[in-house]
Amino acid sequence: MFSTIYIEEEVLETSRVKNMLDRFPQVPRVVCERYGEVFNRKSQNFRLQKKAPALILAKKYGSKVLVAPDGYGYNDSRSYYFSHMLNCVYDCRYCFLQGMYSSANYVLFVNYEDFEEAIASKIEKNSGGGVYYSGYDCDSLALEPVSDFCKHFVPLFGEYPNAELEFRTKSTQIRHLLEQPVIPNCVIAMSFTSHEAGSRWEHKVPSIDKRLEALQKLQLAGWRVALRFEPLILDSQGLTPYESLFAQVFAKLDARKIHSVSSGLFRMPIDFHKRIVKLYPDEELFARPTTTADGMIALKSEDESLQLAAIEKLLFSHISPQQYYRCA
Amino acid sequence: MIKKFEKSLHGSESTPVNIVVAHALEAKALIPMLHLQPFQTTSRFVQYGNSNNLHLIVSGIGRAAMEAAITDLSQQQANEEGQIRAWLNIGIAGHSKAPLGSAWLGNKITCQVSGVSAYPPQLIAGIDSVAVITVDEPERTYPEDVAYEMEAFSFFEQATKYSTAELVQVFKIISDNLENPIEKLDFKNIPIWIRLLQEQIILLISKMSEIVREHNDSHRIPGVYRELCSRIHLTVNQKLQLKRLCLRYKALGLEADLESVISLAGSHSKQIISQLSAQIDRVGKQ
Repeated sequence: MFSTIYIEEEVLETSRVKNMLDRFPQVPRVVCERYGEVFNRKSQNFRLQKKAPALILAKKYGSKVLVAPDGYGYNDSRSYYFSHMLNCVYDCRYCFLQGMYSSANYVLFVNYEDFEEAIASKIEKNSGGGVYYSGYDCDSLALEPVSDFCKHFVPLFGEYPNAELEFRTKSTQIRHLLEQPVIPNCVIAMSFTSHEAGSRWEHKVPSIDKRLEALQKLQLAGWRVALRFEPLILDSQGLTPYESLFAQVFAKLDARKIHSVSSGLFRMPIDFHKRIVKLYPDEELFARPTTTADGMIALKSEDESLQLAAIEKLLFSHISPQQYYRCA
Repeated sequence: MIKKFEKSLHGSESTPVNIVVAHALEAKALIPMLHLQPFQTTSRFVQYGNSNNLHLIVSGIGRAAMEAAITDLSQQQANEEGQIRAWLNIGIAGHSKAPLGSAWLGNKITCQVSGVSAYPPQLIAGIDSVAVITVDEPERTYPEDVAYEMEAFSFFEQATKYSTAELVQVFKIISDNLENPIEKLDFKNIPIWIRLLQEQIILLISKMSEIVREHNDSHRIPGVYRELCSRIHLTVNQKLQLKRLCLRYKALGLEADLESVISLAGSHSKQIISQLSAQIDRVGKQ
């Protein structure tokens, strides 16, 4: 699963790290002082590292709960995100992480108690409320069997019923969620793209069927689930891929109980795009004509807003407009 | 096993790997193993190569010698087409208890003088790895459970200026330990140990080649770019624009269209670039 496990000296002797290491007796271990010695150094290549990523076990210093970017969430509440992990086990060609880091190794911050403290403090500052997103710099659940992340963090939100926790994921690692009591203020938001986009650009991601199966189990167990149709990469096939995707999704889930549904077009900061183009000069997606506005790059499309409106109309044949928001 | 790897190494595929050794005795066993021939050059460093693009340079002992050899070789091989090479340092090292002739890849290289460490990303499975400390004088007491040697840190630091860290690796062969101190090292054993490690060395070179070939293929600039650069005057900025346009045509599966678009545009650089841009914006839009 990992080519190497790097461990920061400071966390080497913690029981959480020892337990994690026990799971991988065969994987070579290398001790480092700080994760920055290994991760995101110049002269590293994200694309090459994706061939055999390493796991880095580290301690997170500094701010642990950050203000979410504008338009990230589904309502006007104060929104924050926290990242117990950097990088994702999946390999989606459209992902901005490729342009954000020069390293594809996974950094797992193991000082959960410090995160917990920071989250609790932020919730209290917000009079017990706010929305807290996990899964901005990683997939929330994909490494769950190793990290026990949601096993640890869900109960915290049980203590703050007015604060909301959202896991963004494409993972089917839901065992720990199903094993614990449901809390109503935790949302599991699963991302989907069309079959065609998935097979072209999403590598190592569980199939749409498997993801839907996981969501269905969660929904039947009483968990609140959400759908994220992002990024929408519009092409000459028009609506057809989305008609079949939506039909498949809503045949499996109880649409009325879905917490929220969002869609968002392919967008990324210009600098990230530049770096990704250098990494993947052979990728058709990054050779397409683009437009830029406000520091962001998007694919050039004359009828983008019409197509997006048509996709939304399609969605509204399955859900109510109140359940929907458009990602900025 | 060896045959399979040897086949890939000596077949028609390119092996864009630079092997750097400090001592001629380390080169001695590698030359026949890798079918290398003396490489004629004006460089002050002894070099060997083969028709598959595999290259070996003898740097001399110590950090400064290593730095100079890598700089020299990289200048000799410089190209502006984004093609890179892998770099592999093969050399002897000491360890407190590791058996003579055993070998590892370096997974952490620390410069004893500065205390700074570097971490070669470990992409190649099947070869054990160890931490390495680069020292200025031979280590005789081996206080830590690491391999002690004299060039790896400079090698990594210098070679990563010309390639990506994933393609810069050090392979260390144990030549001395507490029971067999360095003063008693019989130099004749060095080529023998290296010969015995043939399977690992060939595996390493084959896998590094595979990765670098894949990288270079994805970054290959269509030949039209080079042709145009030699035919018409282009500013540095225009060269960059043209390179990116050629790569976009290739990524969109339109490489074959490049020449016809260029021929229609005439011989003016601005016109060529604007014609290529307009055409790709038309075709590439979904």
